[in-house]
Amino acid sequence: MSILRPRLNDFHKIPFTQEEVGFAIPFLDEDISLYVDPFLLWKSPSMQDNSLHLSITNSFNNLGFLVNNRKEKAAIDIIIRASECNEVGFGTSKSRIGKRIGSKLAKSVLDVFTIIPQINKSGFIHFEEIQLLVDSFSKDRVSDIACNFIKSFLIDYTIEQAEQYGIPIEKVKLQNVYDLKNNKFDEEQTHLPVNPINKTPILFVPKRWLRFIPWINSDDYLNNYYVKKIHKEGDEFPDRVKLLRFNRDNYDIVKTYTAIKEKQLEHCKNDPLFRQIPVISAKRKITTISNLPTGKTENADRKYEYNICQLMASLVYPHLDFAQEQSRTDSGVLIRDLIFYNNRSLDFLKDIYNDYGCRQIVMELKNVREVNREHIFQLNRYLNDQFGKFEIIVARNQPLKKVFKNTIDLWSGQRRCILILDDSDIKMMAQVFESKQRYPIEIIKKKYIEFTRACPS
Amino acid sequence: MTNDEVENFEKIFGQFEGLHKEIGILSKKSPNDAINKFKLSFINKLLAEANEVLDEEQRPFDGFDSFDEDQLPTNSDVTMIFEQYLYCFEQFRSENIKHTQKWFGDKYVEKWVWLVEGQESEIQTAPPKKIKR
Repeated sequence: MSILRPRLNDFHKIPFTQEEVGFAIPFLDEDISLYVDPFLLWKSPSMQDNSLHLSITNSFNNLGFLVNNRKEKAAIDIIIRASECNEVGFGTSKSRIGKRIGSKLAKSVLDVFTIIPQINKSGFIHFEEIQLLVDSFSKDRVSDIACNFIKSFLIDYTIEQAEQYGIPIEKVKLQNVYDLKNNKFDEEQTHLPVNPINKTPILFVPKRWLRFIPWINSDDYLNNYYVKKIHKEGDEFPDRVKLLRFNRDNYDIVKTYTAIKEKQLEHCKNDPLFRQIPVISAKRKITTISNLPTGKTENADRKYEYNICQLMASLVYPHLDFAQEQSRTDSGVLIRDLIFYNNRSLDFLKDIYNDYGCRQIVMELKNVREVNREHIFQLNRYLNDQFGKFEIIVARNQPLKKVFKNTIDLWSGQRRCILILDDSDIKMMAQVFESKQRYPIEIIKKKYIEFTRACPS
Repeated sequence: MTNDEVENFEKIFGQFEGLHKEIGILSKKSPNDAINKFKLSFINKLLAEANEVLDEEQRPFDGFDSFDEDQLPTNSDVTMIFEQYLYCFEQFRSENIKHTQKWFGDKYVEKWVWLVEGQESEIQTAPPKKIKR
Protein backbone atom coordinates (compact mmCIF):
# COMPACT_ATOMS: atom_id res chain seq x y z
CA MET A 1 0.00 0.00 0.00
CA SER A 2 1.54 3.30 -1.05
CA ILE A 3 1.39 6.70 0.59
CA LEU A 4 1.09 9.84 -1.48
CA ARG A 5 3.51 12.64 -0.65
CA PRO A 6 4.93 10.72 2.31
CA ARG A 7 6.31 12.48 5.36
CA LEU A 8 8.85 11.05 7.78
CA ASN A 9 6.34 10.25 10.51
CA ASP A 10 3.93 8.60 8.04
CA PHE A 11 6.68 6.29 6.89
CA HIS A 12 7.45 5.26 10.48
CA LYS A 13 3.71 5.09 11.33
CA ILE A 14 4.16 7.61 14.14
CA PRO A 15 0.89 9.37 14.88
CA PHE A 16 1.33 13.11 15.23
CA THR A 17 -0.01 16.02 13.25
CA GLN A 18 1.89 19.05 12.08
CA GLU A 19 0.01 21.16 14.62
CA GLU A 20 1.25 19.05 17.54
CA VAL A 21 4.97 19.26 16.91
CA GLY A 22 7.32 22.23 17.08
CA PHE A 23 9.24 21.39 13.91
CA ALA A 24 8.26 21.24 10.26
CA ILE A 25 7.63 17.58 9.40
CA PRO A 26 9.90 16.80 6.43
CA PHE A 27 8.59 15.20 3.24
CA LEU A 28 10.60 12.24 2.03
CA ASP A 29 10.69 13.05 -1.66
CA GLU A 30 10.38 16.81 -1.92
CA ASP A 31 11.24 20.07 -0.19
CA ILE A 32 9.02 22.16 2.07
CA SER A 33 8.45 25.50 0.36
CA LEU A 34 9.36 27.55 3.42
CA TYR A 35 12.65 29.07 4.46
CA VAL A 36 14.50 29.87 7.67
CA ASP A 37 14.42 33.62 8.13
CA PRO A 38 17.34 34.75 10.32
CA PHE A 39 15.34 37.86 11.23
CA LEU A 40 12.91 35.66 13.20
CA LEU A 41 15.84 34.46 15.32
CA TRP A 42 16.96 38.05 15.84
CA LYS A 43 13.50 39.25 16.93
CA SER A 44 12.67 36.17 19.02
CA PRO A 45 12.19 36.73 22.76
CA SER A 46 14.25 33.59 23.32
CA MET A 47 17.85 34.24 24.30
CA GLN A 48 18.79 30.97 22.66
CA ASP A 49 17.44 32.14 19.29
CA ASN A 50 19.22 35.48 19.68
CA SER A 51 22.51 33.71 20.41
CA LEU A 52 22.05 31.50 17.38
CA HIS A 53 21.46 34.60 15.26
CA LEU A 54 24.65 36.04 16.66
CA SER A 55 26.50 32.85 15.75
CA ILE A 56 25.18 33.02 12.20
CA THR A 57 26.17 36.67 11.87
CA ASN A 58 29.62 36.12 13.38
CA SER A 59 30.26 33.16 11.12
CA PHE A 60 29.21 35.17 8.09
CA ASN A 61 31.28 38.19 9.12
CA ASN A 62 34.24 35.88 9.58
CA LEU A 63 34.23 35.56 5.80
CA GLY A 64 35.03 39.29 5.68
CA PHE A 65 37.82 38.76 8.17
CA LEU A 66 39.30 36.03 5.96
CA VAL A 67 39.04 38.23 2.87
CA ASN A 68 40.73 41.12 4.65
CA ASN A 69 43.52 38.77 5.69
CA ARG A 70 44.09 37.56 2.16
CA LYS A 71 42.53 34.18 2.79
CA GLU A 72 39.97 34.58 0.06
CA LYS A 73 40.30 30.98 -1.09
CA ALA A 74 39.31 29.68 2.36
CA ALA A 75 36.41 32.15 2.46
CA ILE A 76 35.18 31.01 -0.96
CA ASP A 77 35.33 27.40 0.16
CA ILE A 78 33.26 28.18 3.27
CA ILE A 79 30.58 30.20 1.48
CA ILE A 80 30.21 27.52 -1.20
CA ARG A 81 29.90 24.76 1.38
CA ALA A 82 27.45 26.86 3.39
CA SER A 83 25.25 27.62 0.40
CA GLU A 84 23.25 24.39 0.38
CA CYS A 85 21.82 22.41 3.28
CA ASN A 86 20.05 19.31 1.95
CA GLU A 87 19.43 17.88 5.42
CA VAL A 88 16.73 20.48 6.24
CA GLY A 89 14.91 20.16 2.91
CA PHE A 90 13.61 23.69 2.39
CA GLY A 91 13.00 25.16 -1.03
CA THR A 92 11.27 24.05 -4.17
CA SER A 93 13.23 20.95 -5.11
CA LYS A 94 11.23 17.86 -5.99
CA SER A 95 14.09 15.62 -4.91
CA ARG A 96 15.32 17.20 -1.65
CA ILE A 97 18.70 17.73 -3.31
CA GLY A 98 19.89 21.23 -4.17
CA LYS A 99 22.96 22.67 -5.78
CA ARG A 100 25.63 24.79 -4.17
CA ILE A 101 26.57 28.19 -5.55
CA GLY A 102 29.45 28.50 -7.97
CA SER A 103 32.75 30.20 -7.27
CA LYS A 104 31.72 33.24 -9.35
CA LEU A 105 28.72 33.98 -7.14
CA ALA A 106 30.77 33.18 -4.05
CA LYS A 107 33.33 35.76 -5.15
CA SER A 108 30.59 38.37 -5.72
CA VAL A 109 29.35 37.80 -2.17
CA LEU A 110 32.82 38.16 -0.70
CA ASP A 111 33.51 41.27 -2.78
CA VAL A 112 30.87 43.05 -0.71
CA PHE A 113 33.29 42.94 2.24
CA THR A 114 35.87 44.90 0.28
CA ILE A 115 33.66 47.18 -1.84
CA ILE A 116 31.47 48.57 0.93
CA PRO A 117 33.51 50.39 3.59
CA GLN A 118 30.87 50.12 6.34
CA ILE A 119 30.72 46.34 5.92
CA ASN A 120 34.47 46.09 5.64
CA LYS A 121 34.78 47.86 8.96
CA SER A 122 31.84 46.51 10.99
CA GLY A 123 30.41 43.56 9.08
CA PHE A 124 26.71 42.71 8.85
CA ILE A 125 24.04 42.64 11.54
CA HIS A 126 21.51 41.11 9.13
CA PHE A 127 23.45 39.17 6.53
CA GLU A 128 20.27 38.72 4.46
CA GLU A 129 21.02 42.25 3.19
CA ILE A 130 23.25 40.38 0.72
CA GLN A 131 20.07 39.84 -1.33
CA LEU A 132 20.00 43.61 -1.90
CA LEU A 133 23.65 43.79 -2.86
CA VAL A 134 24.45 40.73 -4.97
CA ASP A 135 22.61 39.36 -7.98
CA SER A 136 21.28 35.76 -7.93
CA PHE A 137 21.51 35.49 -4.16
CA SER A 138 18.04 34.29 -3.27
CA LYS A 139 16.04 33.52 -0.15
CA ASP A 140 16.91 29.81 -0.22
CA ARG A 141 20.61 30.73 0.04
CA VAL A 142 19.91 32.90 3.08
CA SER A 143 18.03 30.01 4.67
CA ASP A 144 20.64 27.37 3.82
CA ILE A 145 23.58 29.49 5.00
CA ALA A 146 21.78 30.18 8.29
CA CYS A 147 21.06 26.45 8.74
CA ASN A 148 24.62 25.44 7.95
CA PHE A 149 26.14 27.86 10.42
CA ILE A 150 23.94 26.54 13.24
CA LYS A 151 23.90 22.92 12.12
CA SER A 152 25.45 21.76 15.37
CA PHE A 153 22.44 23.15 17.25
CA LEU A 154 20.03 21.63 14.70
CA ILE A 155 21.62 18.21 15.25
CA ASP A 156 20.97 18.43 19.00
CA TYR A 157 17.45 19.74 18.41
CA THR A 158 16.69 16.94 15.96
CA ILE A 159 17.96 14.22 18.32
CA GLU A 160 15.89 15.69 21.16
CA GLN A 161 12.72 15.86 19.06
CA ALA A 162 13.32 12.39 17.59
CA GLU A 163 13.60 10.95 21.09
CA GLN A 164 10.49 12.79 22.25
CA TYR A 165 8.33 11.48 19.41
CA GLY A 166 9.98 8.08 18.98
CA ILE A 167 11.39 8.75 15.51
CA PRO A 168 14.13 6.20 14.76
CA ILE A 169 17.66 7.58 14.43
CA GLU A 170 20.69 5.96 12.80
CA LYS A 171 24.42 6.49 12.80
CA VAL A 172 25.28 8.97 10.06
CA LYS A 173 28.28 10.89 8.87
CA LEU A 174 27.60 14.57 8.18
CA GLN A 175 30.00 16.18 5.75
CA ASN A 176 29.26 19.79 6.48
CA VAL A 177 29.12 20.73 10.15
CA TYR A 178 30.38 24.20 10.94
CA ASP A 179 32.87 24.39 13.77
CA LEU A 180 32.33 27.76 15.47
CA LYS A 181 35.60 27.61 17.38
CA ASN A 182 37.80 27.10 14.34
CA ASN A 183 35.46 28.73 11.82
CA LYS A 184 35.57 25.90 9.32
CA PHE A 185 33.45 23.04 8.10
CA ASP A 186 34.19 19.56 9.41
CA GLU A 187 32.83 16.04 9.23
CA GLU A 188 30.90 14.73 12.18
CA GLN A 189 29.55 11.34 13.09
CA THR A 190 26.27 11.44 14.92
CA HIS A 191 22.83 9.85 15.11
CA LEU A 192 19.98 11.36 13.11
CA PRO A 193 16.74 10.29 11.43
CA VAL A 194 17.41 9.24 7.86
CA ASN A 195 15.37 9.45 4.72
CA PRO A 196 14.28 5.84 4.08
CA ILE A 197 14.31 6.45 0.33
CA ASN A 198 17.98 7.40 -0.04
CA LYS A 199 19.37 7.00 3.51
CA THR A 200 20.43 10.65 3.70
CA PRO A 201 20.31 12.34 7.13
CA ILE A 202 17.39 14.60 8.03
CA LEU A 203 17.48 17.65 10.30
CA PHE A 204 14.39 19.14 11.94
CA VAL A 205 13.95 22.91 12.07
CA PRO A 206 11.66 24.76 14.51
CA LYS A 207 8.46 26.02 12.85
CA ARG A 208 8.86 29.37 14.56
CA TRP A 209 11.82 30.26 12.29
CA LEU A 210 10.06 29.70 8.99
CA ARG A 211 8.66 32.16 6.48
CA PHE A 212 7.78 32.01 2.79
CA ILE A 213 10.00 35.01 2.13
CA PRO A 214 12.56 36.62 4.44
CA TRP A 215 11.48 39.76 6.30
CA ILE A 216 14.29 41.64 4.59
CA ASN A 217 13.97 40.88 0.89
CA SER A 218 14.63 42.58 -2.41
CA ASP A 219 10.99 42.82 -3.59
CA ASP A 220 9.92 44.50 -0.38
CA TYR A 221 12.93 46.80 -0.56
CA LEU A 222 12.10 47.79 -4.13
CA ASN A 223 8.32 48.21 -3.79
CA ASN A 224 7.95 49.53 -0.28
CA TYR A 225 11.11 51.50 0.20
CA TYR A 226 13.03 52.33 -2.96
CA VAL A 227 10.01 53.27 -5.10
CA LYS A 228 8.33 55.26 -2.34
CA LYS A 229 11.27 56.97 -0.68
CA ILE A 230 14.25 57.05 -3.01
CA HIS A 231 13.04 56.98 -6.58
CA LYS A 232 12.22 60.41 -8.00
CA GLU A 233 9.48 60.85 -10.54
CA GLY A 234 10.86 61.34 -14.03
CA ASP A 235 14.09 59.45 -13.27
CA GLU A 236 14.86 56.35 -15.21
CA PHE A 237 13.72 53.28 -13.33
CA PRO A 238 16.76 51.09 -12.63
CA ASP A 239 16.81 47.47 -13.72
CA ARG A 240 17.78 44.84 -11.17
CA VAL A 241 21.52 44.97 -11.85
CA LYS A 242 21.58 48.77 -11.71
CA LEU A 243 19.61 48.75 -8.49
CA LEU A 244 22.05 46.32 -6.88
CA ARG A 245 24.92 48.54 -7.96
CA PHE A 246 23.08 51.57 -6.57
CA ASN A 247 22.64 49.72 -3.27
CA ARG A 248 26.31 48.82 -3.09
CA ASP A 249 27.26 52.44 -3.79
CA ASN A 250 24.72 53.76 -1.28
CA TYR A 251 24.83 51.22 1.49
CA ASP A 252 23.52 53.79 3.99
CA ILE A 253 20.17 53.63 2.17
CA VAL A 254 20.11 49.85 2.63
CA LYS A 255 20.98 50.34 6.30
CA THR A 256 18.09 52.77 6.68
CA TYR A 257 15.73 50.25 5.10
CA THR A 258 17.00 47.55 7.48
CA ALA A 259 16.56 49.92 10.44
CA ILE A 260 12.93 50.52 9.39
CA LYS A 261 12.37 46.75 9.13
CA GLU A 262 13.85 46.34 12.59
CA LYS A 263 11.40 48.91 13.93
CA GLN A 264 8.53 47.01 12.32
CA LEU A 265 9.57 43.75 13.97
CA GLU A 266 6.17 43.24 15.59
CA HIS A 267 4.67 42.64 12.16
CA CYS A 268 7.25 39.97 11.37
CA LYS A 269 5.59 36.63 12.08
CA ASN A 270 6.48 33.12 11.08
CA ASP A 271 4.33 31.56 8.36
CA PRO A 272 2.38 28.44 9.30
CA LEU A 273 2.85 25.31 7.21
CA PHE A 274 -0.88 25.35 6.57
CA ARG A 275 -3.18 28.34 6.86
CA GLN A 276 -6.90 27.79 7.27
CA ILE A 277 -9.18 29.92 5.14
CA PRO A 278 -11.07 32.61 7.12
CA VAL A 279 -14.66 31.98 8.21
CA ILE A 280 -16.02 34.60 5.80
CA SER A 281 -14.29 32.85 2.95
CA ALA A 282 -15.67 29.47 4.06
CA LYS A 283 -19.18 30.97 4.06
CA ARG A 284 -18.69 32.35 0.56
CA LYS A 285 -17.53 28.98 -0.68
CA ILE A 286 -20.59 27.31 0.84
CA THR A 287 -22.83 29.81 -0.95
CA THR A 288 -20.97 29.19 -4.22
CA ILE A 289 -21.24 25.42 -3.81
CA SER A 290 -24.96 25.60 -2.98
CA ASN A 291 -25.63 27.63 -6.12
CA LEU A 292 -23.71 25.34 -8.44
CA PRO A 293 -25.72 22.99 -10.62
CA THR A 294 -24.80 19.32 -10.66
CA GLY A 295 -23.01 17.87 -13.67
CA LYS A 296 -20.66 19.69 -15.99
CA THR A 297 -22.80 22.65 -17.04
CA GLU A 298 -20.57 25.72 -17.34
CA ASN A 299 -17.70 23.84 -15.72
CA ALA A 300 -19.73 23.39 -12.55
CA ASP A 301 -17.79 20.22 -11.74
CA ARG A 302 -14.46 22.04 -11.75
CA LYS A 303 -15.81 24.92 -9.71
CA TYR A 304 -17.26 22.44 -7.24
CA GLU A 305 -13.95 20.59 -6.93
CA TYR A 306 -11.99 23.81 -6.53
CA ASN A 307 -14.24 25.13 -3.78
CA ILE A 308 -14.57 21.84 -1.90
CA CYS A 309 -10.81 21.35 -1.98
CA GLN A 310 -10.12 24.75 -0.43
CA LEU A 311 -12.91 24.35 2.07
CA MET A 312 -12.30 20.77 3.18
CA ALA A 313 -8.56 21.20 3.77
CA SER A 314 -9.39 24.00 6.21
CA LEU A 315 -12.42 22.36 7.80
CA VAL A 316 -10.65 19.19 8.89
CA TYR A 317 -7.46 20.97 10.03
CA PRO A 318 -5.70 20.42 12.46
CA HIS A 319 -6.99 16.86 12.90
CA LEU A 320 -6.11 15.88 9.36
CA ASP A 321 -3.15 17.36 7.51
CA PHE A 322 -3.82 17.90 3.85
CA ALA A 323 -1.46 15.87 1.64
CA GLN A 324 -2.46 16.74 -1.90
CA GLU A 325 -5.05 16.88 -4.64
CA GLN A 326 -4.96 14.12 -7.17
CA SER A 327 -6.56 13.50 -10.52
CA ARG A 328 -7.00 10.04 -11.94
CA THR A 329 -8.95 8.47 -14.76
CA ASP A 330 -11.26 5.51 -14.32
CA SER A 331 -13.12 4.08 -17.31
CA GLY A 332 -12.46 7.29 -19.22
CA VAL A 333 -13.85 9.49 -16.44
CA LEU A 334 -11.63 12.06 -14.75
CA ILE A 335 -11.90 11.75 -10.99
CA ARG A 336 -10.62 14.29 -8.53
CA ASP A 337 -9.53 13.22 -5.04
CA LEU A 338 -8.34 14.98 -1.94
CA ILE A 339 -5.81 13.06 0.13
CA PHE A 340 -5.28 13.62 3.85
CA TYR A 341 -2.75 12.05 6.19
CA ASN A 342 -4.41 10.03 8.93
CA ASN A 343 -2.33 10.64 12.01
CA ARG A 344 -4.87 9.15 14.43
CA SER A 345 -5.49 12.44 16.22
CA LEU A 346 -9.04 11.43 17.26
CA ASP A 347 -10.52 8.17 18.54
CA PHE A 348 -12.51 7.54 15.40
CA LEU A 349 -9.44 8.21 13.23
CA LYS A 350 -7.61 5.60 15.30
CA ASP A 351 -10.51 3.21 14.69
CA ILE A 352 -10.41 3.60 10.93
CA TYR A 353 -6.62 3.30 10.99
CA ASN A 354 -6.81 0.03 12.91
CA ASP A 355 -9.96 -1.45 11.37
CA TYR A 356 -9.52 -0.40 7.75
CA GLY A 357 -5.75 0.14 7.48
CA CYS A 358 -6.43 3.75 6.55
CA ARG A 359 -3.11 5.61 6.61
CA GLN A 360 -4.38 8.25 4.23
CA ILE A 361 -7.97 9.34 3.88
CA VAL A 362 -9.15 9.74 0.32
CA MET A 363 -12.12 11.99 -0.42
CA GLU A 364 -13.55 11.59 -3.88
CA LEU A 365 -15.41 14.63 -5.19
CA LYS A 366 -18.58 13.96 -7.18
CA ASN A 367 -20.65 16.82 -8.50
CA VAL A 368 -23.45 14.49 -9.54
CA ARG A 369 -27.17 14.69 -8.86
CA GLU A 370 -27.15 11.28 -7.27
CA VAL A 371 -24.45 8.84 -6.34
CA ASN A 372 -25.21 5.51 -7.97
CA ARG A 373 -24.04 1.92 -7.62
CA GLU A 374 -21.47 2.32 -10.38
CA HIS A 375 -19.78 5.14 -8.43
CA ILE A 376 -19.56 2.89 -5.39
CA PHE A 377 -18.14 -0.04 -7.35
CA GLN A 378 -15.69 2.23 -9.18
CA LEU A 379 -14.42 3.46 -5.85
CA ASN A 380 -14.24 -0.04 -4.46
CA ARG A 381 -11.97 -1.10 -7.32
CA TYR A 382 -9.76 1.90 -6.64
CA LEU A 383 -9.58 1.15 -2.93
CA ASN A 384 -8.33 -2.31 -3.80
CA ASP A 385 -5.39 -0.92 -5.69
CA GLN A 386 -4.15 2.00 -3.70
CA PHE A 387 -5.38 2.78 -0.24
CA GLY A 388 -6.86 1.14 2.83
CA LYS A 389 -10.44 0.05 3.07
CA PHE A 390 -11.91 3.43 4.00
CA GLU A 391 -12.97 6.26 1.75
CA ILE A 392 -15.29 9.23 1.63
CA ILE A 393 -17.39 10.35 -1.30
CA VAL A 394 -18.24 14.04 -1.21
CA ALA A 395 -21.40 14.43 -3.25
CA ARG A 396 -24.24 16.91 -3.64
CA ASN A 397 -27.30 15.05 -2.39
CA GLN A 398 -28.06 12.43 0.19
CA PRO A 399 -27.65 8.97 -1.35
CA LEU A 400 -30.74 6.90 -2.08
CA LYS A 401 -31.47 4.10 0.35
CA LYS A 402 -30.41 1.45 -2.16
CA VAL A 403 -27.05 3.16 -2.63
CA PHE A 404 -26.50 3.41 1.09
CA LYS A 405 -27.39 -0.27 1.28
CA ASN A 406 -24.71 -0.96 -1.34
CA THR A 407 -22.12 0.55 0.98
CA ILE A 408 -23.41 -1.58 3.85
CA ASP A 409 -23.28 -4.68 1.64
CA LEU A 410 -19.68 -3.85 0.78
CA TRP A 411 -18.89 -3.75 4.47
CA SER A 412 -20.68 -7.04 5.02
CA GLY A 413 -18.84 -8.77 2.19
CA GLN A 414 -15.43 -7.17 2.20
CA ARG A 415 -15.25 -5.08 5.40
CA ARG A 416 -14.90 -1.83 3.46
CA CYS A 417 -16.25 1.47 4.65
CA ILE A 418 -17.44 4.10 2.19
CA LEU A 419 -19.03 7.19 3.70
CA ILE A 420 -21.05 9.64 1.65
CA LEU A 421 -21.10 13.30 2.65
CA ASP A 422 -23.58 15.63 0.97
CA ASP A 423 -24.14 19.39 0.78
CA SER A 424 -26.02 19.44 4.09
CA ASP A 425 -23.06 17.82 5.88
CA ILE A 426 -20.63 20.27 4.31
CA LYS A 427 -22.89 23.15 5.35
CA MET A 428 -22.98 21.88 8.89
CA MET A 429 -19.20 21.51 8.89
CA ALA A 430 -18.89 25.11 7.77
CA GLN A 431 -21.44 26.16 10.40
CA VAL A 432 -19.46 24.62 13.28
CA PHE A 433 -16.24 25.92 11.71
CA GLU A 434 -17.75 29.37 12.20
CA SER A 435 -19.38 28.87 15.59
CA LYS A 436 -16.51 26.80 17.03
CA GLN A 437 -19.04 24.85 19.08
CA ARG A 438 -17.74 21.51 17.75
CA TYR A 439 -14.98 20.38 15.40
CA PRO A 440 -16.08 20.06 11.75
CA ILE A 441 -14.44 16.65 11.59
CA GLU A 442 -17.00 15.44 14.13
CA ILE A 443 -19.58 15.55 11.33
CA ILE A 444 -17.50 12.92 9.52
CA LYS A 445 -17.33 10.96 12.78
CA LYS A 446 -21.14 11.22 13.03
CA LYS A 447 -21.49 9.77 9.52
CA TYR A 448 -19.08 7.00 10.45
CA ILE A 449 -21.13 6.14 13.56
CA GLU A 450 -24.34 6.14 11.52
CA PHE A 451 -22.66 3.83 9.05
CA THR A 452 -21.39 1.41 11.71
CA ARG A 453 -24.81 1.34 13.40
CA ALA A 454 -26.40 0.42 10.10
CA CYS A 455 -23.95 -2.45 9.60
CA PRO A 456 -25.27 -5.91 10.55
CA SER A 457 -23.99 -7.02 13.94
CA MET B 1 -45.61 13.26 45.90
CA THR B 2 -43.61 14.23 48.95
CA ASN B 3 -42.45 17.70 49.91
CA ASP B 4 -38.93 16.87 48.68
CA GLU B 5 -40.26 15.61 45.37
CA VAL B 6 -42.23 18.82 44.85
CA GLU B 7 -39.14 20.86 45.63
CA ASN B 8 -37.04 18.75 43.25
CA PHE B 9 -39.67 19.04 40.50
CA GLU B 10 -39.79 22.82 40.77
CA LYS B 11 -36.00 23.03 40.63
CA ILE B 12 -35.81 20.86 37.50
CA PHE B 13 -38.77 22.63 35.90
CA GLY B 14 -37.09 25.99 36.47
CA GLN B 15 -33.81 24.80 35.03
CA PHE B 16 -35.62 23.36 32.01
CA GLU B 17 -37.38 26.64 31.36
CA GLY B 18 -34.11 28.56 31.72
CA LEU B 19 -32.18 26.31 29.34
CA HIS B 20 -35.09 26.21 26.90
CA LYS B 21 -35.03 29.99 26.77
CA GLU B 22 -31.25 30.12 26.27
CA ILE B 23 -31.09 27.45 23.61
CA GLY B 24 -34.23 28.91 22.01
CA ILE B 25 -32.35 32.16 21.44
CA LEU B 26 -29.43 30.27 19.89
CA SER B 27 -31.84 28.22 17.83
CA LYS B 28 -33.45 31.32 16.34
CA LYS B 29 -30.02 32.62 15.34
CA SER B 30 -28.58 29.40 13.98
CA PRO B 31 -30.91 26.41 14.19
CA ASN B 32 -28.50 24.02 12.49
CA ASP B 33 -25.47 24.79 14.60
CA ALA B 34 -24.21 21.97 16.81
CA ILE B 35 -24.34 22.26 20.59
CA ASN B 36 -20.93 22.13 22.22
CA LYS B 37 -19.94 19.27 24.51
CA PHE B 38 -19.94 21.43 27.64
CA LYS B 39 -23.56 22.52 27.18
CA LEU B 40 -24.55 19.05 26.08
CA SER B 41 -23.25 17.47 29.28
CA PHE B 42 -25.54 19.73 31.34
CA ILE B 43 -28.47 19.19 29.01
CA ASN B 44 -28.09 15.42 29.35
CA LYS B 45 -27.70 15.69 33.13
CA LEU B 46 -30.93 17.65 33.29
CA LEU B 47 -32.68 15.16 31.03
CA ALA B 48 -31.55 12.33 33.31
CA GLU B 49 -33.06 14.13 36.31
CA ALA B 50 -36.26 14.79 34.35
CA ASN B 51 -36.48 11.11 33.43
CA GLU B 52 -36.37 10.22 37.10
CA VAL B 53 -39.35 12.48 37.79
CA LEU B 54 -41.42 11.37 34.80
CA ASP B 55 -42.46 7.76 34.34
CA GLU B 56 -41.78 6.18 31.00
CA GLU B 57 -45.34 6.74 29.83
CA GLN B 58 -45.23 10.36 30.96
CA ARG B 59 -42.09 11.10 28.86
CA PRO B 60 -42.55 12.70 25.43
CA PHE B 61 -40.97 10.01 23.21
CA ASP B 62 -40.50 6.29 23.56
CA GLY B 63 -36.86 5.31 23.48
CA PHE B 64 -35.48 8.82 23.91
CA ASP B 65 -33.74 9.53 27.17
CA SER B 66 -30.72 11.69 26.28
CA PHE B 67 -28.78 13.20 23.37
CA ASP B 68 -25.94 11.25 21.80
CA GLU B 69 -22.87 13.46 21.84
CA ASP B 70 -21.56 11.83 18.66
CA GLN B 71 -24.76 12.56 16.76
CA LEU B 72 -24.02 16.30 17.07
CA PRO B 73 -27.46 17.50 18.15
CA THR B 74 -28.25 20.98 16.90
CA ASN B 75 -29.83 23.95 18.66
CA SER B 76 -33.17 23.21 17.03
CA ASP B 77 -33.02 19.53 18.06
CA VAL B 78 -32.57 20.51 21.69
CA THR B 79 -35.25 23.19 21.53
CA MET B 80 -37.73 20.73 20.06
CA ILE B 81 -37.08 18.09 22.72
CA PHE B 82 -37.18 20.63 25.54
CA GLU B 83 -40.49 21.95 24.23
CA GLN B 84 -41.94 18.44 24.49
CA TYR B 85 -40.52 17.86 27.95
CA LEU B 86 -41.93 21.17 29.18
CA TYR B 87 -45.34 20.13 27.90
CA CYS B 88 -45.07 16.80 29.75
CA PHE B 89 -43.90 18.56 32.89
CA GLU B 90 -46.90 20.84 32.74
CA GLN B 91 -49.21 17.88 32.31
CA PHE B 92 -47.56 16.17 35.28
CA ARG B 93 -47.90 19.32 37.36
CA SER B 94 -51.56 19.78 36.41
CA GLU B 95 -52.24 16.28 37.70
CA ASN B 96 -50.61 17.03 41.04
CA ILE B 97 -52.02 20.43 41.96
CA LYS B 98 -55.38 21.57 43.25
CA HIS B 99 -57.39 24.76 43.27
CA THR B 100 -58.46 25.91 46.74
CA GLN B 101 -60.69 28.69 48.00
CA LYS B 102 -60.67 29.94 51.56
CA TRP B 103 -62.78 32.56 53.31
CA PHE B 104 -60.68 35.22 55.02
CA GLY B 105 -63.02 37.46 57.01
CA ASP B 106 -64.44 39.53 54.19
CA LYS B 107 -63.28 37.79 51.02
CA TYR B 108 -62.44 34.50 49.36
CA VAL B 109 -58.79 33.90 48.60
CA GLU B 110 -58.20 31.55 45.71
CA LYS B 111 -54.96 29.72 45.17
CA TRP B 112 -53.39 26.68 43.55
CA VAL B 113 -51.47 24.33 45.80
CA TRP B 114 -49.53 21.09 45.41
CA LEU B 115 -51.02 17.80 46.51
CA VAL B 116 -48.57 16.20 48.93
CA GLU B 117 -49.26 12.55 49.80
CA GLY B 118 -52.66 13.03 48.14
CA GLN B 119 -53.59 15.91 50.45
CA GLU B 120 -53.75 19.67 49.88
CA SER B 121 -50.52 21.27 51.03
CA GLU B 122 -49.47 24.82 51.79
CA ILE B 123 -47.01 24.84 48.83
CA GLN B 124 -48.45 27.30 46.36
CA THR B 125 -48.03 27.01 42.66
CA ALA B 126 -49.16 28.70 39.45
CA PRO B 127 -52.45 27.71 37.82
CA PRO B 128 -52.24 25.10 35.05
CA LYS B 129 -51.35 26.78 31.81
CA LYS B 130 -54.03 25.09 29.74
CA ILE B 131 -56.89 25.61 32.19
CA LYS B 132 -58.80 28.83 31.82
CA ARG B 133 -61.57 29.87 34.15
